[in-house]
Amino acid sequence: MTMTLNYAWMSALSTFRNAKFVIFTAALPVIMFLLFNGLYGDQTSSAGMSAGVYLMISMACYGAIGASLNAGARIALERQTGWNRQLRLTALSPQGYMIAKAVVSMLVALPALALVFLVGGVVGHVHLSVGSWLLTALVIWISIIPFAMLGLVIGFLGTPDSTQPISMLVYIGLSILGGLWVPLENFPAVMTTIAKVLPTYWVAENGRDAAAGVGVSATGVLVLVGWTILLGLVGMAAYRRSGRKA
Amino acid sequence: MTTSEHSTRTSPRTGPAADGAAIRLSGLHKSFGSVRAVRGIDLTVAPGEVVAFLGPNGAGKSTTIDLLLGLTKPDSGTARLFGGVPDAAVSAGRVGAMLQSGALLPDLTVRELIRIFAALHRNPMPVGEAMLRAGIDDIAGQKTQNLSGGQAQRVRFALALVPDPDVVVLDEPTVAMDVEVRRQFWASMREFAAGGRTVLFATHYLQEADDYADRVVVIADGRIIADGTGASIKARVSGRTLSAVIPGASEQLLRAMDTVTDVEVVGGRYAVHCDDSDAVLRLLLARYPQIHDIEITQANLEQAFLQLTGSSSVDAPSTSAAKGA
Repeated sequence: MTMTLNYAWMSALSTFRNAKFVIFTAALPVIMFLLFNGLYGDQTSSAGMSAGVYLMISMACYGAIGASLNAGARIALERQTGWNRQLRLTALSPQGYMIAKAVVSMLVALPALALVFLVGGVVGHVHLSVGSWLLTALVIWISIIPFAMLGLVIGFLGTPDSTQPISMLVYIGLSILGGLWVPLENFPAVMTTIAKVLPTYWVAENGRDAAAGVGVSATGVLVLVGWTILLGLVGMAAYRRSGRKA
Repeated sequence: MTTSEHSTRTSPRTGPAADGAAIRLSGLHKSFGSVRAVRGIDLTVAPGEVVAFLGPNGAGKSTTIDLLLGLTKPDSGTARLFGGVPDAAVSAGRVGAMLQSGALLPDLTVRELIRIFAALHRNPMPVGEAMLRAGIDDIAGQKTQNLSGGQAQRVRFALALVPDPDVVVLDEPTVAMDVEVRRQFWASMREFAAGGRTVLFATHYLQEADDYADRVVVIADGRIIADGTGASIKARVSGRTLSAVIPGASEQLLRAMDTVTDVEVVGGRYAVHCDDSDAVLRLLLARYPQIHDIEITQANLEQAFLQLTGSSSVDAPSTSAAKGA
């Protein structure tokens, strides 16, 4: 297990080195937050939450989810370049490899999350207690587990050429439909119904609940756990399939 | 399929291994679709041997290496390392391998890459030592994506050393290396093997096989066609060809002569391949006084290699064979 976590940590470090990765997963949400916050920051959302907090949470989720998906896409690259063959000549077990990749996906989500929160607090004038900040961050972080699984699925099914567009499409599609970009109140009611079966919606909703100091909804937990199990199973199958080819 | 179980313990050097051999391949077959890459390979390598796997591109060298490392499963036959399945030897860190064109993880320095890889082994060689042995301590701080082909190859060599293995398998290790780097590489490899480790390397350079291996196994068309010391292999390919019009001779009679390895009939002439053309010529002149239009040519290394690897070598890398000369 030490070996697996060690490997995950070092892989995560190498991912942070990639400038493109950092720009797309951390800088973009920060810029979008600053932009939207400048436009709507002083309004109050329908739920009584300040638009600043609402936007900060949405963009933190957006960034964390993007990083997590992107880490998965990197698997496809490692598979194609033959690095995975080299990895198979180590004591790292296939299970250890899967766990390491999931851990990497979770780890690389942290900087985006932290950065958007930092900008929210410093520039965006979002005021929360220390406990609320930490709790909100933790809740969002745990809630993105299904996206770590989704990253694995994409990484094990796709090729380096196909993963980029696929994960981008999935990322932006789920983000918009889940209300991360524009609050769902601005869409027809049917959109809200759709959003409520999507993990993106519940990641942000859980974050908002945590920031507001109320418990997360059981439906949300159920939806996220459901996606995690489903995508986890597909990911395992995809891994076995890719292992045979490698 | 456990064919290795009946093997005798001929070499106790490996200690607890159930099988004295470092590598034992038995009846290996592997096809990819309609391509029969490996067609019945049997090979036993004793601990401490340095073995060259010599053959043209597409001969089945890489597939055989994948099979012996457990990266591919054979259609039939078995691959054993120290008496066990390859996965067990890999997991125990007894095998290091330099794979052909295996990419390096990008966005890391060379030192970090080696460190990551070392973290995935139970008893790795110290990172500094692996880098020193592979001669990459001077590029330790460079990003892996910025390395030249030769530098990348040396980093791969370091990756092969990291497990501190008993067997090192190198698939065409000197591809992309220039002459000087190549010399340094073989010096490091020799130094590493001197500690009693087993080395198996694939190459299509005859000269490289001869210079650096104790034993040369020639593979073509997925089969082993020659197995011996470099000298004995070279002797097989360093003969001369005597061609002449020889009235009264027959292919059969010519073949029966001392040191004659092969006889061909080409346009009314006999082409007699032999090791000692002087002796053969004297005998021919005595036996067949009518012999005329005699020509003696030394088979160049390229031809010899082609001859050795047989019909499979239509697309043999003539440039590399020539370079080997």
